[in-house]
Amino acid sequence: MRNDRLKIVFVLCLAFVSTGGQHLESKVVQLLQDEAEDIKCFVEGKDLTCFWEEEEERNNLHDQYTFTYSYENKKKMACVVSSLSLLASNKTVFFCKLPKTPFFTTLVVQVYRDAQMLYSRSLNAENFLFLDPPRNLTVTNSGKEGQLNVSWLPPPLKYMDDSLIYEVRYAMEGSNMGKVEVIKVSTMLVLLGLQSDTRYKVWVRVKPDGVAYKGYWSAWTEPVFGVTQPGDMDPLIVVLVLFIGLILCLLSLTVILSHHKFLLKKLWPDIPTPEHKFPGLFTVYKGDFKEWMSQNNGSIWGRSVHVYAEELPSPLEVLSEVSLTGHATSQREERKPVEEEEEKESERSDSRLTDRWREPPHAHWLMEQLRALQDNPESLSQSSLLQSHDTYVTLNQGDNERQDDDVFEETVPLQTLFTTAGTSSLSTSRSDLGSLQQSSGSGRLSSQSSFEYPNHTWPPKGPGYAYMAVADSGVSMDYSPMSSSRIAELGKHRMYTNDYKNDIFPHKWPLSGQHIKSGSGSCTGTVW
Amino acid sequence: MGSVAERSKALDLGSSLSGGVGLVSVLMVFVWLGENQVSPLRPICDLRVLDHFVREARDSEVIMRGCRGGCGVMKSYFVPLTSVDFAVWEHTDVHGQAVEVQTGLSLLDQALNNAMKTVSNSPLASALENNISNIHSLGQILHSLDLQQARSTVLPDDSVPASAQTQEVSSLPELLQVQSSFLRGKVRLLLSAAPACQRQNS
Repeated sequence: MRNDRLKIVFVLCLAFVSTGGQHLESKVVQLLQDEAEDIKCFVEGKDLTCFWEEEEERNNLHDQYTFTYSYENKKKMACVVSSLSLLASNKTVFFCKLPKTPFFTTLVVQVYRDAQMLYSRSLNAENFLFLDPPRNLTVTNSGKEGQLNVSWLPPPLKYMDDSLIYEVRYAMEGSNMGKVEVIKVSTMLVLLGLQSDTRYKVWVRVKPDGVAYKGYWSAWTEPVFGVTQPGDMDPLIVVLVLFIGLILCLLSLTVILSHHKFLLKKLWPDIPTPEHKFPGLFTVYKGDFKEWMSQNNGSIWGRSVHVYAEELPSPLEVLSEVSLTGHATSQREERKPVEEEEEKESERSDSRLTDRWREPPHAHWLMEQLRALQDNPESLSQSSLLQSHDTYVTLNQGDNERQDDDVFEETVPLQTLFTTAGTSSLSTSRSDLGSLQQSSGSGRLSSQSSFEYPNHTWPPKGPGYAYMAVADSGVSMDYSPMSSSRIAELGKHRMYTNDYKNDIFPHKWPLSGQHIKSGSGSCTGTVW
Repeated sequence: MGSVAERSKALDLGSSLSGGVGLVSVLMVFVWLGENQVSPLRPICDLRVLDHFVREARDSEVIMRGCRGGCGVMKSYFVPLTSVDFAVWEHTDVHGQAVEVQTGLSLLDQALNNAMKTVSNSPLASALENNISNIHSLGQILHSLDLQQARSTVLPDDSVPASAQTQEVSSLPELLQVQSSFLRGKVRLLLSAAPACQRQNS
């Protein structure tokens, strides 16, 4: 029976030691790291526990450690030494638990090994409290946005409830960056400034406040989770946002309505039709162009032509040849106005169109001229002194004899588009158009018109002829006098065609081609 | 003839007697009131006052450590025992605790006064003076808590009997350490468990 009792007591002791040992071990482990003294002591509950590490060199279990303590000049008292094996670090520590620890007095503790003092320390027990963590940590929703109520219970202690401070640590779930709040005595706290609708983790630990009692921070409690309230949209903000949105809508509407025509034109442009340029063409004459042409007489066209910026007129006037000696033919009837020369200084490439459209006013006159020339072919070989500064084009009737492949390199790129009723005398060349290379002395070429003159020659007009090469770059004109010898030299070169660079004209080529098939002449431009 | 004189004499006597009785009764009332004096002080239960005193006692220890010259002489002081065995303490009744505390405070007061005579260092001297006034305040606090069982008797110098409740220290630093421990220990435990305060809280 006595054995049974002993066994029960032993089992209970073991159980107690094991549970207490767990707490002890965790505290021992922590102090091993933090405390630098040889004898490390802490108070758990009301008892002081001191421990020291086993010296590594001696693994002798027979080593006898003796632990003594004394206070208030009384005689030394011994304490029973026990050993503890740490599982984590595989170390062994020896410890002693003072049975009745006197507080508020200086204790002197000593460790002896084989009657030789190993360590010694004097301390006040109330300065080394190592408390258990707080209990019953709860985190609840406070009902307000961004707040959480945290409350806990202090560790079971007497006399010390009012001299404890707590540290509350909180962090968002999944984050390691936490904030810490220190709170004295009170065992509840309201966390402020949190994000709404977020899960937070909260820990608490405790320590004596350091006035009457001192000690180490306890271990953190197990984390407790709490969720903050989902955020409401502040009604004021909602109203303001709606109000501002309404004002912006009204403003944009006003702007759109006031400029709706402009916006419409930009976003939905009208498909341009040429109707307005041809008044009555589609309405009265039902698209019959010939009819319309005959009716209108082109007077409007003359006007409209000037509208196009690109299509500056480069008027071409054909005169009969005049001789240098001053015989002026009476056939020369018209002089180009100065303004036309200026107009020629624009892009020559568009001259074709201009010439074409300009044809009607001079058509009859030109026809007259051609007829005159036809009658007097020899007059072509004569040159006459031109008395104006305009650019004149002499129309070479293209005698059959002149089949040299002379090319006049620098000429005014003018295209002659004439409808000729009588084409017999002008049938020398079958090329559609004269193509002249337009080159400038300076090498600037912005537009070119091409003439095709495979078989044409530029007859050297004799020493009397003074030619001036006109180089048209589309922007400016370079005029340089050319001697007839140079012309002769140039005339030996073959002419070649150049691609026309102006986009307006390609489609007009067929028209002009058809127009000119009947006959054409080589053109030279002379400027005085 | 004699009756009138006798009557007047009797009247005089009577009046004087009644006056005397009245006076005596009044006096007796006063004495009675004086003896059964109700404490005029409200109980001071806030331990932060004591914590303030504890901090100032610690400041004296710090000043003592840094004191160079004029820091007192080696002298023996009789000081109270400061050790607290919680098991024993809990078994002691309040009055017994109060007596211990009261005796200890008076011992400390005496010792500090003696020490101040030997100190010439001015910061230390002012700190000691502070401690002495704090001890007096503690007396007042105990009085407010109705724990001042024995009136503080100023004992003449060098005639303190060595009792079981005292110990002897031989230097001023030790004295200051004892003062600190005493305030933090016994005095605090007594004040925190004072019945007057418990009644208030419950």
